[in-house]
Amino acid sequence: MAKVVVLGAGVAGHTAASYLQKYLSKQHQITVVSPTSTYQWIPSNIWVGVGRMTAEDIKFDLIPLYKKWGIEFLQAKAISFYPEGDNDTNSGYVEVEYTSPQKFGLKQKVPFDFLINATGPKLNFGATEGLIPGQGNIASVCTFGHATEAWKLFKEKLDKMKNGQKQTFVIGTGHPTATCQGAAFEYILNVDFEIKRRGLQDLAEVIWITNEYELGDFGMGGAFIKKGGFISNTKLFAESYFVERNIKWIKRAGVKKIDAHKIFYENLDGEYLEQNYDFAMLIPGFAGHGFKAFDKQNSDITDCLFAPNGLMKVDADYTPRPFEQWSVQDWPQTYQNPSYPNIFAPGIAFAPPHSISKPMTSKNGTPIFATAPRTGMPSGVMGKVTAENIIAWIKTGDPEIKHRASMGRMGAACIVSAGYGMSKGTAATMTVSPVVPDWDKFPEWGRDIKTTMGEPGLAGHWLKWLMHYMFLYKAKGKPFWWLIPE
Amino acid sequence: MENRLVIDKYSEQYYPPTPTNFTLFWRKFIPFQILRFIILTLKIIKIVVKGHS
Ligand SMILES: Cc1cc2nc3c(=O)[nH]c(=O)nc-3n(C[C@H](O)[C@H](O)[C@H](O)COP(=O)(O)OP(=O)(O)OC[C@H]3O[C@@H](n4cnc5c(N)ncnc54)[C@H](O)[C@@H]3O)c2cc1C
Repeated sequence: MAKVVVLGAGVAGHTAASYLQKYLSKQHQITVVSPTSTYQWIPSNIWVGVGRMTAEDIKFDLIPLYKKWGIEFLQAKAISFYPEGDNDTNSGYVEVEYTSPQKFGLKQKVPFDFLINATGPKLNFGATEGLIPGQGNIASVCTFGHATEAWKLFKEKLDKMKNGQKQTFVIGTGHPTATCQGAAFEYILNVDFEIKRRGLQDLAEVIWITNEYELGDFGMGGAFIKKGGFISNTKLFAESYFVERNIKWIKRAGVKKIDAHKIFYENLDGEYLEQNYDFAMLIPGFAGHGFKAFDKQNSDITDCLFAPNGLMKVDADYTPRPFEQWSVQDWPQTYQNPSYPNIFAPGIAFAPPHSISKPMTSKNGTPIFATAPRTGMPSGVMGKVTAENIIAWIKTGDPEIKHRASMGRMGAACIVSAGYGMSKGTAATMTVSPVVPDWDKFPEWGRDIKTTMGEPGLAGHWLKWLMHYMFLYKAKGKPFWWLIPE
Repeated sequence: MENRLVIDKYSEQYYPPTPTNFTLFWRKFIPFQILRFIILTLKIIKIVVKGHS
């Protein structure tokens, strides 16, 4: 009997767990460890944050599903890794601490033959002074809880505008090297849409603040798309979207501090500037969870398993090289840890070899640029591929890794919602292929120009809406869920 | 210019392209959007299939 432990029940972890239970016979044990017992479809948090959906619409309880699937579920968080075990335990194990009310604070060893670390990012709000979601005028849409609070705050501001008070909305990145610009981009467009839907635009100033060198970079160095007889950069696409809506922008900005009414940032020119606001939604920096790792002799081997940013080392090429020498070959394909091949890290949990966008530094030496995004679709694919490799290994006994999913090969689709409504809504359907530009294969545009696109319109909203229901259907393990791709 | 909101001259916002009424019409015109929905879905499926190896 093999024991497979999955840490995290997000896009990557839950996808991996669902395939493991489907293809491994019941003689094998699958355990999922996650600090919350709910699964949330994170992309729809945008709509929770503007009151178009509630948290209940985007989440469900995992416990009955895992019971039905025969998966052991521990409501706990991983703390430390012992890949070789210790004097008392021969197999590798993870030390977890329970978060459920019944066993809160209790620690336990969870032994494994195979470990999937799919713990996603630590939302590192603490890295930006004053960036505390729910405090004062600061909101976040990174979790359903945050998004619910964001809607309450946004509603307060809408009410103020209804009473004739002007309000300034600042949305974007809240750390000099934050990623996930796409989510903030969607949120600003939805906030703007809701303001206009209520006819309050004359009382609102909506401002985008970003660490991107140019708009439309989205942490993937931007993309070229073919449209209207031109091949143009997503810079133009993002700027046009904002101009159409009278949204102003501040780019190349590294937010360092925020108080109740002001955002303090440094730009690439080395200037220290301030921006007033009444409502701010700023994406925090992402980091690893600060896990520790120990060998059998209890010596600290954290740097074997984890990169300095706390994310897990996998089969990427981490050799430091200048931007000009980066290649798609640097990106991992199997998400397997080089020191412990029975440990994998799909999704945001793996340490990327470097960013995709060119790293930029301000005149004062502050790095200000967008770090690499790992959106839902690649995270789901990585989760599935990891499960497939473990299943094959368990079934055949052969550790050869056959299934691969490199961000330098796979594409991603991202539907950028810009307003909710079946007849009045809109979204930009964006696809990039591959996610990491491959300048050797596509020397002109870095990506396949036939499958890289950006198209605004009502159809995009229908797609985003459909995906919400489709992916929740899949995550709930309803009949034929596996026919729905990641 | 069509649909252009008041913008400070020589600011960053002054230069990017703005969609015309014609473009905005097609973005909302339901029969056309149904067609685009089908095409976009097929394009996404193509990318998804390519990504799984
Ligand atoms: C607002 C927002 C909108 C987005 N919109 C889109 C979109 O439209 N399209 C798209 O493709 N992507 C989107 N993304 C990105 C997408 O959500 C992520 O790529 C995806 O969730 C990453 O999956 P993951 O499994 O790596 O991490 P997560 O989904 O974050 O899952 C991590 C899991 O690990 C658990 N965990 C955390 N700590 C521990 C611990 N110590 N021990 C055990 N478990 C732990 C967490 O509880 C969670 O269950 C969006 C992100 C945000 C924030």
